Amino acid sequence: MVAIVGRMVDLRNRRGAQVAALFAIASIGLAAAGCSSSPSTSAPKVPGTANVAYASSLQYLNTKVVGPAFTKATGAKYLGTSGASGTLSSEIAANALPDANVFESVGSDNITPLEPKYTHWYVQYAGNKMVLAYNPNGKYASQFEAIASGKEPLKDLFTLLQTPGLKLGRTDPNIDPQGRYFIEMLELAQMYYNLPADTVTNIIGSPLNSSTSSEIYAESSLDSVLQAGELDAASAYYTQAIELHLHYIALPAMINLGTAADGAYYSKATITTTNGKVHSGEFLVFDITIIGKATPAAVAFVKYTLSSTGIAQYKQGGFTLLKPTGFGTGIPAAIRSELGS
Amino acid sequence: MTSGPRAVRSVSGAVSVAGALVVWVLLLGPVITLLTHISGSAIASSLSAPGALQPLVTSLEAGGVTLVVLLLICTPLARMLARGTLPFPRVWEAGVLCSLLLPPLVIGLLLVFMVGPYTPFGELIGHLNLSAVNTFLALVIAEVYESAPYYVLGAQAAFASVDPRLEQQAALLGDRPRRVFRRVTLPLAAPGLAMALAVAWARAMGAFGAVVVIAYHPYGLPLQIWTTLQATGLPSALPFALVLLVVALPLPLAAYIWSARAQSRRRG
Repeated sequence: MVAIVGRMVDLRNRRGAQVAALFAIASIGLAAAGCSSSPSTSAPKVPGTANVAYASSLQYLNTKVVGPAFTKATGAKYLGTSGASGTLSSEIAANALPDANVFESVGSDNITPLEPKYTHWYVQYAGNKMVLAYNPNGKYASQFEAIASGKEPLKDLFTLLQTPGLKLGRTDPNIDPQGRYFIEMLELAQMYYNLPADTVTNIIGSPLNSSTSSEIYAESSLDSVLQAGELDAASAYYTQAIELHLHYIALPAMINLGTAADGAYYSKATITTTNGKVHSGEFLVFDITIIGKATPAAVAFVKYTLSSTGIAQYKQGGFTLLKPTGFGTGIPAAIRSELGS
Repeated sequence: MTSGPRAVRSVSGAVSVAGALVVWVLLLGPVITLLTHISGSAIASSLSAPGALQPLVTSLEAGGVTLVVLLLICTPLARMLARGTLPFPRVWEAGVLCSLLLPPLVIGLLLVFMVGPYTPFGELIGHLNLSAVNTFLALVIAEVYESAPYYVLGAQAAFASVDPRLEQQAALLGDRPRRVFRRVTLPLAAPGLAMALAVAWARAMGAFGAVVVIAYHPYGLPLQIWTTLQATGLPSALPFALVLLVVALPLPLAAYIWSARAQSRRRG
C-alpha cells in the first residue's frame, strides 16, 4: 500500500511539472491571440459558434489554446467535439453531429466520404509523426534511455520490443488510426533496418489486425496506463509525447510517417483491417473543412487555424507545419486567401 | 350532492395517470428513440457477423461472477452496517458512499495503480500466470467496483427493514445466529435484497467507465457498442444496445415483480 501511495505521490509531482509546462504553452497561445493582427476590439465580432469536430490528437491544442484564442480574436463562440477521425466522419454522415460545422481530421480519407453532401473541399495544413513513448521508471527504462540518447543504435529498439515480458501498449488498428500507424511504422522499420521477417509479429503477435491482443488499450486510457507505470512502452504521436511530457524515442523520418516527401516509401507498409480494407502507410497529415453551410463562425475558425497565428500555435504544440494546400472546389474566398501563405 | 367530489376525484386521478404517463414516456425517451432508429435488417446484419454474440456471452458470464462476488462479500457487510455491529459505522458508510461518488472512469484509472501488472497485487497473481488488466478477471474486478456500492446500500436498506425483535425472539427460542439469519432475516430481507441485486446486475451489465480503462479485452456488450460505433458507425452499433437492454432487463424486472408481490403479501 505504501508503494502504491508513493507512486501516486510521485505521479502527482510529475503531473505538477506537466501542468506547469502545459500552462506555459497555453499562455503562449493566449498571448499570441492577444497580440494577433486578427480582428480585435475595433473589428466587428463574428456572430455564431464554430462547432468543431476534431481528431482526438488535437484535443489539448483545441481545448486549451486554439479554441480560447479564436474566441478572443474573433468574438465567435467555440465548441469542440473530439473523437477518432473515422468515428467523427461516420457520425457526421449519420447526422449524429448535426451542429458540427468544422471538421479537422487525420487524413483526407475521412473527409472524402462526406463529399458532396457535406463538403466539396479540404485543406491540408499540419503534420504529425510517430514516436515510441516509454516508462522512465520501468524495468527496461535504462535500455530505452540508451536508445533515446543515441548511446545504443535505434535498430536495437526493435530487438528490445521483442523481449518476453516487456509490456507494450497500443491501440486497436481496426478502429483507431494510431493503431494502424504503429503497425505500419514497425513494418517500415523491419524493411529499413533489414530486420528478420518475423520482427513485427514477434513484437505485436499474429494476426497483425487482431483486436483481442492484450497489448491493445482504448486510445483514451493508453497514456494513463503508461503514466501510471503499468506499461514499459506505448505507441504515441509526437504531439502527445510533448503535451503529456512523456519520455519518448524519436524515430527516423523513413519510418515515423512524418515527412511528406517520404510518402511513397511509407506506402510500402500495409495493414488490412478486419473489414477487409487495406490501409497503406502515409504521411500523417491534418485536414480541415467546413461541414454544410459555411457560416461566418465556421469560416472564421478555419481562417484563424490557417493564419500565421493559428499555425504558430500548432508549431508550439509540436506539429509539423505545412504550406496550407486546398483540394476540391468551392473553398470560401476568405479561406482561399490563407492558402499558400 | 356526492357527484361533485366524485367527479373531482376522477379528474384528479386522470391527471395523475396522465402525469405518470408523461414522466414514463420521457424516461423511456431514449429507448423509444432506439426502437425507431433500428431496422430488422440492421439487427440481422450486425448480430449475424462472426463472433458478434461473443460479447453477450462475456457480459453474461462476467455479470454472473460479479453477482456471486457481491453476494459473498458485500452481503455480510451490508448486514453489519444495517445492524450497527461495526465500530465507527459512519466511517464505513462514508467509505461506501465515496466509491459510489467516484466517476467510473476515475475508478478505472485508480484500479490501474492497484491491480496493474507492476503493482504488488499484479506481481502476485502474475506468478499464477494471471493478470488483472485486459483479462476476464479485470472485467469482473471493474464490474464489482462499479456495482458494489449500489448493492451494499440496497442490501443495507433491505436488512434494516427487518424488525430486529423478530431475530431476537428466534434467538430466545434457541436458534443459533446462523439459523436466525437463514430462517428469519434472509426471508424477510429477500425482496429488498433481490432489488439490490437487480440494480447491481444492471450496473454491472452496463459498466463502461472503469472497464474501458482496465478491461478493454475481452469485450463485453458496452465495449462492443463503443468499438462498433468507432469502426462502422451508429447504425451497426445500435442493435447491440438493443441486445444489452433485452438481456439485462429481465432479471431486474423479475426481481421487481417478485419483490412487489412479496411485500403486498406481507402487508395483506
